[in-house]
Amino acid sequence: MAQHGGPQQRIFSPLRTALHRFAFILLIFSAFGLMLLGKADTVLIERIRAASADLVSPIMSIVSRPAASIDEFTDKLYNLAHLYEENERLRRENRQLLAWQQAARNLSHENNRLRDLAHYTTPPSLNLVTSRVIADMGGAYAHSLMISAGSRDGVIKGQAVIADEGLVGRIAEAGYQASRVLLITDINSRVPVIVENSRDRAFVSGDNTNRPLLTFLTADASVAPGDRILTSGHGGAFPPGIPVGIVSSVSENAVRIAPLFHRHQLEYLRVANYGLHGILSEQRIRQSLSPKNPAATNLAPEIPAGVGVVPDDSEIQAGQANTSEQTQEGDRP
Amino acid sequence: MKPSVWQRLDVIARGLVPAFSVFVLLLINLLPIGLPLLSAASPSLALMAVFYWSVNRPDLLTGLTAFLLGVLQDLLLGLPLGVSSLVLLLVQTISANQGRFFHNKSFVVMWWGFALVAIPSLLVQWLLSSALIGALLPIKATLISYMLTALLFPIVAWLLARTQNSLLRYV
Repeated sequence: MAQHGGPQQRIFSPLRTALHRFAFILLIFSAFGLMLLGKADTVLIERIRAASADLVSPIMSIVSRPAASIDEFTDKLYNLAHLYEENERLRRENRQLLAWQQAARNLSHENNRLRDLAHYTTPPSLNLVTSRVIADMGGAYAHSLMISAGSRDGVIKGQAVIADEGLVGRIAEAGYQASRVLLITDINSRVPVIVENSRDRAFVSGDNTNRPLLTFLTADASVAPGDRILTSGHGGAFPPGIPVGIVSSVSENAVRIAPLFHRHQLEYLRVANYGLHGILSEQRIRQSLSPKNPAATNLAPEIPAGVGVVPDDSEIQAGQANTSEQTQEGDRP
Repeated sequence: MKPSVWQRLDVIARGLVPAFSVFVLLLINLLPIGLPLLSAASPSLALMAVFYWSVNRPDLLTGLTAFLLGVLQDLLLGLPLGVSSLVLLLVQTISANQGRFFHNKSFVVMWWGFALVAIPSLLVQWLLSSALIGALLPIKATLISYMLTALLFPIVAWLLARTQNSLLRYV
């Protein structure tokens, strides 16, 4: 800063201070303005967020590689040290899995026969897009990841994101070449689920801890620690039957589940395009706002609900058109 | 003597170093690191850098820059928009005004100063995020985040001091 005071300095210095103060107040107000805007116009903010993800994704996809290779190295060291026990464990597991495979074959055969008998219409087929995790917005406030697949790969907002172990989250914003995944542990996440054994319906609601809550359980539902939780497919957002977690604790006022994935170990994720557009797509929201059929109720009947629901003919065709488009692009590693 | 175009470009480029360093630290914050602790709560690297530059070179990291970097942080980390902008702007203004206090003092004084500034910053961030999301966020993650932020400050400050000495000595 210039210290030599002159007549000019004497006039402009207070002016500059006033200007600084004014700019500061203006910026404070714009910060609050941004908060209001973020609450009011979510569609615009989503577009901007998606664009910013696109902006950094080329850098992140390069920079995240060395980080991943360091992980690989530590993994290798660990594996080398535990080779013997791991081998024993896998042998045991393999024996069990072979037995399960036999059971699954029998059941799948029986299932096909029964489906034929009952003229069951199969739900739309799953179309998976595999992509790499390029960023982890690890933090106390938001549980989300960035993946290197976007609308060019057929990824749309609202689609389910799956790891080898089970459900990870859903697409919150899809950019052109990168998207943000909202984890099921995030406070904004709600996933319709069923308890595997009792078929009780509920929601998995994140609360920014590692153990999301099981909410909206009926009073007579029977849940015990160790029960598996699967997606129910209600609302048409997620395919049914994806494992979500295992009930970890049951108390008077809260049932918590342990997700099946370890956030720090996520490396490759698959985005499931189920042919249904999900309840979250803007197109669907617009449709439900103005029902074409005057006799339609306000319950938005065009939203398919339930396991193995049959979409309309037009929807199946649209789904097929989608699939044929995406098989070309979706095969990309 | 009038400086040539290249000299002026050089000065401008060097002047952008502080803002660019915050951007780089933001990207480092985003790296998927295979540690269980860091995926639950990460240190706020941008906060450290904004504090460091506001104390040492407030002329090169102005309030507006801090505000814009905050917007970027909110967009990239998926936080409610505007929260980081407000926090970084306040940190910049306060540290730039009180920056002279840290000059010619040992680094430990600055470390203590940062540890003090980081408490209200992260608390405001937690409160505003909770208010905008509409539910109280678990405070435990914020506490871990604060610990990491305060403990890792010397490393980031050392890196930034190296950058400052090598690139900004004559700017």
